[in-house]
Amino acid sequence: MTLETATRLTEVLLALALLQQGLEHLRGPADERVLFGARSVLCLLLIAGVAQPWPLVGLAALSLAILWRFQGPYNGGSDRMGLLALWCLTLAALMPTRPWREVMFGYLGAQLVLSYLISGWVKVVNPDWRSGRALRDVFQFSAYPVSEDLRRWAERPRVLLAMSWAVIAFELAFPLSLLSRETLIAGLVVAATFHLANACLFGLNRFFWTWLAVYPAILWLQDRLF
Amino acid sequence: MLRPLALLLPALIPSWRFFDVIAPSPRIEYALLPSADASADWREFRPRPQRVSVATMAGRLAWNPRWNETLFLVSCAERLVDAPSAHSENEIFRRVAAGLGPGVHEPWLALRLLFVARDGEALVREVLFEASPRRLSDLR
Repeated sequence: MTLETATRLTEVLLALALLQQGLEHLRGPADERVLFGARSVLCLLLIAGVAQPWPLVGLAALSLAILWRFQGPYNGGSDRMGLLALWCLTLAALMPTRPWREVMFGYLGAQLVLSYLISGWVKVVNPDWRSGRALRDVFQFSAYPVSEDLRRWAERPRVLLAMSWAVIAFELAFPLSLLSRETLIAGLVVAATFHLANACLFGLNRFFWTWLAVYPAILWLQDRLF
Repeated sequence: MLRPLALLLPALIPSWRFFDVIAPSPRIEYALLPSADASADWREFRPRPQRVSVATMAGRLAWNPRWNETLFLVSCAERLVDAPSAHSENEIFRRVAAGLGPGVHEPWLALRLLFVARDGEALVREVLFEASPRRLSDLR
């Protein structure tokens, strides 16, 4: 995959993810409708490939106003990954030489790998995760399960222990998927399934679309490095 | 200008420590009052449904504004306890008031934050924040 193809694919997927979020905000207060209405217009320009790189620059500038509006990300980690992708794409587009464009876009791919590896590391060093207790806590009392029926999963410690180790193993092993194109694609399919499960069980739909948008960056980086 | 850049920095240099510790979890409770000093009958704001169908879960992949707003309110509640600010309190008041809909007759809205945590094998609940009641007419 060429740098141009990968950045373009990431731009379009990210714009679609931001559009999906933006539509959700159009039912919110008036000031949100203005901010996200403007962002949606810029996303449409980005998808159309019009006046590049200015839609990206506009989106990056608007992201600061949105951060200010909510005094931080609206939806935690998913918004942070969206911001990272947006700023990496913007800086890559503004760089005067190809090596610098590669550095900016490569940073995004590297962060995607780190997002799984570090998440796995902080879990495996935590005894509560290794015993399944932490995942039990997630189902029992955290704010995330989307229904009361899901909370009953907390009564299945063996299932949660297996799920905990499956998540830890997948996250820690993800960097190994970079060994070949086939293993990377398999790793990304597993990762997308993981995000899909989180979207269904915990309502984290923004993670699913945002992480998917960044996958071209790691496909390109693997091609570039190996 | 510096504040938005400071807010952007954790996104550009992320920590990626998802779910490293399962912290006490906030529940937003509200009460509608006939006067600011009336006693409160607390109710949970947006309690989760008993069951969500697979079809609904699939639909929420594309359209999930209510849940995402609820998660934002959870962030505001956590911020309010960790680093109190008028912004977080205002957001919770305004969004709870908007979420109550039009058929509310009592003029005052009270809010409190109840945190649920595990202590050994038991779940414990503790009120860590209670706001002064506000007039609903000022919030809409």
